[in-house]
Amino acid sequence: MASDLRSAPVARSVAEIERALTGIWAQAAARRAKDAAGGKSAAGDEGAGAPGGTSPDAAVRVGEHHVAARSSVLNLVVVAGHQETAERCAATIAGIAGRHPSRSLIISAVDVDGPAGIEARIEAISVATASGTAESGAETIHITTRGETSRHLASIIVPLLVHDLPVALWWPHNPDFLSHRARRLLPMADRLIVDSATWSGDGLNRLAAMSAVAQSQRLAVADFSLIRQDRWREALASVYDLPDLRPHLSAVRSITVRYAAADGADPTGLTNVARPVYHVSWLASRLGMTVVSPLQRLPDGRRTATLRQGTHQVAVELRPARSDLADGSTVGVEIASQLRGAELIGDVQAGDRTVEVTVRDQGRERVHRTYLAPRLNDVELLELAVEDNLAGSVGVEALAMAGHLISAEPPHGAADMRRSEDYD
Amino acid sequence: MRPPRVPAPPEPARTARQLRTEGASRRRRKVEADINPLRAGLRLERVPDPCAFVLFGATGDLAHRKVIPAIYQLWRTNLLPAEFSLVAVARRPYTDATFAAEVLTSLKKYSRIQPIDDASWAELAKRITYQQLDFADDSGFDRLSERLDELDKERGTDGNRLFYLATQPSQVTEIIRELGRVGLDHEMRAAGWRRVVIEKPFGRDFESARHLNHEVNKVFRESQVYRIDHYLGKETVRNLLVFRFGNGIFEPVWNRSYVDHVQITVAESLGVEGRGAFYEETGASRDILQNHLLQLMTLVAMEPPSSFNADALRDQKLQVLRAITTPNAECVRHDIVRGQYGTGWVQGEEAPGYRQEPEVDPESETETYVAGKFTIDDWRWSGVPFYLRAGKRLPKRATEIAIQFKEVPLPLFRESTGDPAPNVLAMRIQPDEGIMLRFAAKVPGLGLDVRTVNMDFDYGTSFVVDSPDAYETLILDGLLGDASLFTRADEVEAAWSVVTPIIEGWAAMPAPHFPNYAAGTWGPDAADELMTREGRRWRRI
Repeated sequence: MASDLRSAPVARSVAEIERALTGIWAQAAARRAKDAAGGKSAAGDEGAGAPGGTSPDAAVRVGEHHVAARSSVLNLVVVAGHQETAERCAATIAGIAGRHPSRSLIISAVDVDGPAGIEARIEAISVATASGTAESGAETIHITTRGETSRHLASIIVPLLVHDLPVALWWPHNPDFLSHRARRLLPMADRLIVDSATWSGDGLNRLAAMSAVAQSQRLAVADFSLIRQDRWREALASVYDLPDLRPHLSAVRSITVRYAAADGADPTGLTNVARPVYHVSWLASRLGMTVVSPLQRLPDGRRTATLRQGTHQVAVELRPARSDLADGSTVGVEIASQLRGAELIGDVQAGDRTVEVTVRDQGRERVHRTYLAPRLNDVELLELAVEDNLAGSVGVEALAMAGHLISAEPPHGAADMRRSEDYD
Repeated sequence: MRPPRVPAPPEPARTARQLRTEGASRRRRKVEADINPLRAGLRLERVPDPCAFVLFGATGDLAHRKVIPAIYQLWRTNLLPAEFSLVAVARRPYTDATFAAEVLTSLKKYSRIQPIDDASWAELAKRITYQQLDFADDSGFDRLSERLDELDKERGTDGNRLFYLATQPSQVTEIIRELGRVGLDHEMRAAGWRRVVIEKPFGRDFESARHLNHEVNKVFRESQVYRIDHYLGKETVRNLLVFRFGNGIFEPVWNRSYVDHVQITVAESLGVEGRGAFYEETGASRDILQNHLLQLMTLVAMEPPSSFNADALRDQKLQVLRAITTPNAECVRHDIVRGQYGTGWVQGEEAPGYRQEPEVDPESETETYVAGKFTIDDWRWSGVPFYLRAGKRLPKRATEIAIQFKEVPLPLFRESTGDPAPNVLAMRIQPDEGIMLRFAAKVPGLGLDVRTVNMDFDYGTSFVVDSPDAYETLILDGLLGDASLFTRADEVEAAWSVVTPIIEGWAAMPAPHFPNYAAGTWGPDAADELMTREGRRWRRI
């Protein structure tokens, strides 16, 4: 597969952006036509089998033209805030251009107190198959807003959306779900893409707010944190794949998630715990649990909650642990169940490339398996985020359960969610 | 002293309704027990049970090129259970270690994902065990049975066994008979499931297929039998079902009112590749027409199934096969063409003729090309010809299904420099899997020039993810007990009932003057005449 990047001069209005987009694809089409006229057949290796002559079919090919079908599947709007974030997001988006040809609007702000205005740079990426028989295109529009314009992003975004295509709103850092900006931007989106693991503070209030917004606005949310845990979910599910162990799923007594924290104790309580919470909320939602008492932080840094499954209670513990991993990363998940006096413990731990599953049945090791399951990179995460993946019912229920789990936890430490207009 | 046992009072007789309710509730409990709720939303909502995969013909070409690489890939992507065991069965005197070493060499050559992941391979290698067995030796099967019982204890394979017969067709009935003799076919409540996968060819003609089915079904119930036609595991073939039954816009035009004709092509650029002896016994009609081509035809022509379960799907395919007009002698002479390639040039290289290939009779009358016109006698397709062709040493490797629609009833654009060609919907199965729609468009300008354009959907561009190999799909389905993409006995017999009269018809008439097409061309002239006499032509592929 080959790709080719084309860019247009800087545009300073929405109309100029639209003109630049038209021009850029006209150039690409002209270049393709020129290539074709130069003898590069769009049909690949037609007639290659006829030595020293033309294929008998070549003559009838005259008059048959391939449409330069430019497929777009998505509008991807990135509220990047800073320029550096915008550049990083642009690199990630370029990585998915072949699979999800999109119109991407990457918006960052500078000089928010200066005069109003925008500057836009447009890039088009063509991705063609090796045979050159098909081509899809991705457009990236980098928009820098200034002054008052930064407060009216929706007025720039809406006219630039490709009509009839879904809109994914990627809000890479600290989205403020209660802000004026969120109230304007979220309704235009079909899907919100976030990474709760990068949020400031423990991330819990923001997670609860997102859960509430997702439910009230019926917004599909794709959270990189939840998507990253796919390999954990596969591994945890595998604990109960053996038919005789499956009944233990309705007899869970405790869920313990160990996560990396400074000094192994999370003394400030500001380690982001979105990922550990998601492990619990996913398990609880899949196994029909309800929240008896939501998460509470104990003086020793642990967080505990109580769930109910059927007639019995399930003890939940998020336990900070010393680890080489980045703070907030999951170190291990343990599920203990008791069925007719028999105890089963499923323990899952993950490394960079593998996930290790151990199942102990009555203290005896029943299963020990190492799965090859590398961590996902940003491009892979974005790919999965724009596909259905966990925006489906499993993700919706996990996020809703996360909201229930957090709901009673009071805001902790410095305000981790600003209620004002923010420019990141 | 224990009190004397008092007999329990007899239970009141239950009504039929109560019995039905109890049965339903038992089935519901079983289904619930089969479901792991944590798998919702994951790649597989159900994973294969612990099992032993017993591979007969484990040292053969098919096993090394296709079956074992597929198993490795399933293992590498965590789609097989930890309690999985590959029991390799063949005649050669290997040990577990020597066989595993040979497998690793093959994987390095044939696995679609390279390099081989050391850790994954090490884990899989631990689960491979080699069993030397001469298929004619009764005691060998007794030892195999004992070994499988041991594996249940050692590896937790739970009594579940899938027998994969990657052997010569002539050995199939013998192996199945022996499996039955030692009781390896028995499915008992606590003993796990037993399945057998059989590779094509399923017989040489209608009678031999019926005999083979009879022999197989003497031992295994039909629900335990998985006849594999790897074409059905290909992504685009599966996508054909999605395309037809997942889109509302095509169904209204998918019938005799709108479709002029259908062309299905399975073209190979390769020759017999060292399998001359095998091909001498089969030929294109047995090798491709009876299975791949007719299976593709059924998927195009079938009515929508009521559900996506195996039998609903296969019932509809069977209806199509049964509705295909059986060719009589006149039809065979008039509507079916056979060919054999002579020397020629294929993709820039000189290729020998079929009769010059190793293990081929220099006077051979085996066909390496077959083309024919078939019709389906049902309301949907009555009067719509299906043109099928398959051949070796054609200019390129390509498999395609093309639905050509009827011309517009009134040509409005006569003044245009080019006549708009009829609409075509083409589904490319290999290579460059995709779907193409041909339609007319106005050429920009003041005039009213109309030009035919092709709108392409290309899998390679739209989904950059690797498609699984057909064998991965089918082996996983076999392990999961999903027979949707496998062929049922009655389907096989119905397909033979279409092809056998052709073979018999040919046998009764003098063979054409072979070779009748040059390697690197699109087959004999007679194949073109088959189309041109009806005002049509084969698609350029």
